[in-house]
Amino acid sequence: MLPAVFAGREDTGSEVWLRNVTFERGHNYLITAESGTGKSSLCSYIYGYRNDFSGQLLLDDRDVNSLSVEEWCKVRRESIAYLPQELRLFSELTAMENIQLKNQLTGFKTEKQIMDMLEVLGIPEKADSLLGHLSIGQQQRVAIVRTLCQPAAFFLLDEPVSHLDEANNRIVAHLVSEEAKRQGAGIIATSVGNNVLIDVEKELKL
Amino acid sequence: MKLIWKLLRKHISTAQLIGFSLANFVGLTIVILAVQFYEDVRPVFNDEESFISKDYLVITKSVTGAGAMLGNSGEFSDKDIADIEAQEWCQKVGRFRNSDYAIYATMGLGGAGHAMRTQFFFESIPSEFIDVNSTQWNFNPSHPEIPVIVSRDYVSLYNFGFAASQGLPQISESQMLKIPLSFTLSGKGRSEVIPGRIVGFSNRLNTVIVPDAFMQWANERYGTDVKQQPQRLILEVNSPGDVKIEEYLTDHHYDVAGDKMSSSKANYFLTLIIGIVVVVGIIISLLSFFVLMLSIYLLLQKNTRKLQDLLMLGYSPAEVSRPYIRMVVMINAAVLLLSLVVMLLGRIYYLDKLLAFGTGGAGIWVALVVGVLIMGLITTGNVIAIKRKIAALWRG
Repeated sequence: MLPAVFAGREDTGSEVWLRNVTFERGHNYLITAESGTGKSSLCSYIYGYRNDFSGQLLLDDRDVNSLSVEEWCKVRRESIAYLPQELRLFSELTAMENIQLKNQLTGFKTEKQIMDMLEVLGIPEKADSLLGHLSIGQQQRVAIVRTLCQPAAFFLLDEPVSHLDEANNRIVAHLVSEEAKRQGAGIIATSVGNNVLIDVEKELKL
Repeated sequence: MKLIWKLLRKHISTAQLIGFSLANFVGLTIVILAVQFYEDVRPVFNDEESFISKDYLVITKSVTGAGAMLGNSGEFSDKDIADIEAQEWCQKVGRFRNSDYAIYATMGLGGAGHAMRTQFFFESIPSEFIDVNSTQWNFNPSHPEIPVIVSRDYVSLYNFGFAASQGLPQISESQMLKIPLSFTLSGKGRSEVIPGRIVGFSNRLNTVIVPDAFMQWANERYGTDVKQQPQRLILEVNSPGDVKIEEYLTDHHYDVAGDKMSSSKANYFLTLIIGIVVVVGIIISLLSFFVLMLSIYLLLQKNTRKLQDLLMLGYSPAEVSRPYIRMVVMINAAVLLLSLVVMLLGRIYYLDKLLAFGTGGAGIWVALVVGVLIMGLITTGNVIAIKRKIAALWRG
């Protein structure tokens, strides 16, 4: 497959575009990229909020373009947990409310489990703070906890640690890996340099 | 759901919603009040004594100065009557018969000396044209007593015109039925006193009516024996407002007694005016509908990013539109309820005045159905717009 904006290019030097790539459940992938190579585009294709590409993208042998709106909602609640690079949190809600907005939809975690995760990430006291009052690094951790509040076959993380130091990077990697292992899920993470420190089985250059 | 509402209620413009509610309330109230008023007032214009769709006109020949001087009697000839009978709008023709002798009426109040005496007249028409049912409506020459039907207008004339201005007591219809009357009939060298009694009041006939049988008997007994042609005719017609009838009557210089023709016209204009009012109300409602649409579009526009983010989290378009749909339905239901209440209050106010015309008002279900229908349509339009707009956000 190839994003529409790259149409006409024959060799992009990419290990993803114009190639056959398969992501399998239970395995961890790292997609490294320079900016402008379509990293966020790839995520948006996989998560189904853009489809401006040529070629084919299959989820469990189903062409994504044949999925209905209802089926996509189901995918987003039960199969793919997505952490967007721009986080997409709501600044007028508290950290806990932001997380609950997702969790109420899936009913996946208890409030205690959520608090435990915030604790591990070092921001338990921020649970009831308005998101707008948090630093970008704290916001990124809130977004990660929200991503973990659902059943998933894949955790799709777009630059998950871009605003975190190495210590927090390790904590995030551990938290996500544990959750993925528990669910038998795979991880697809992207990076433009600050790689999340998970056990990567396959690295693809975009 | 509470969290979603917390997010999505932002940017809701209370001023816009109040503006919409007010406009819609005014429009809807105008429409249902007009419909209800029309339902309530219609019986006043339709003669409630004729259940089937027929009506009666009483006609005379126009009296003109020149005609009177030329000895034009104003009588209908047999040829005139045959011509009227031949018209397609005419069902039946009844002839008025006049008294052909002198009559004095004495209205006694029991005691001696308390009596009013006046010159009087009688007319009669065939019984089938009379709108009063009375068992006393007959005449027996061996025990002569004269049953009389008078126009209801005379009662009003006395009560609201005469009695009110002269400080006399008003008299109800039932009291009038009890007043003893006697008539002195003179002619052919005779003068006899015959007792009489009012047996009913007519909306249709603007005169004093006695039974045809009495009229024949009295004309033979006291009259001049000159054969008379009628000066007034009563016509049974299907629709008194028919233009053809009006044209025919004008062409032949016939006048219509009472306000039958004009009441039909009044009915027509009432319908027209109510129609205009309803259209104005609907236009206001329609404009308010667009105000709400605009407000919703603006709201969705301002919240676009949030709505998209919610869809990204896995909320379905239906779940995301639900808070807005619920808001619209609640506002519209409240407006409908308020309009109905105001309509009912307004109705109490004017119903009082309508009681004087002898109508207690119709049911309210027509106005209710119209209100629910209009609000249903507006709400459906709003809901469809919200759903479409949010569905369009799916692919940002």
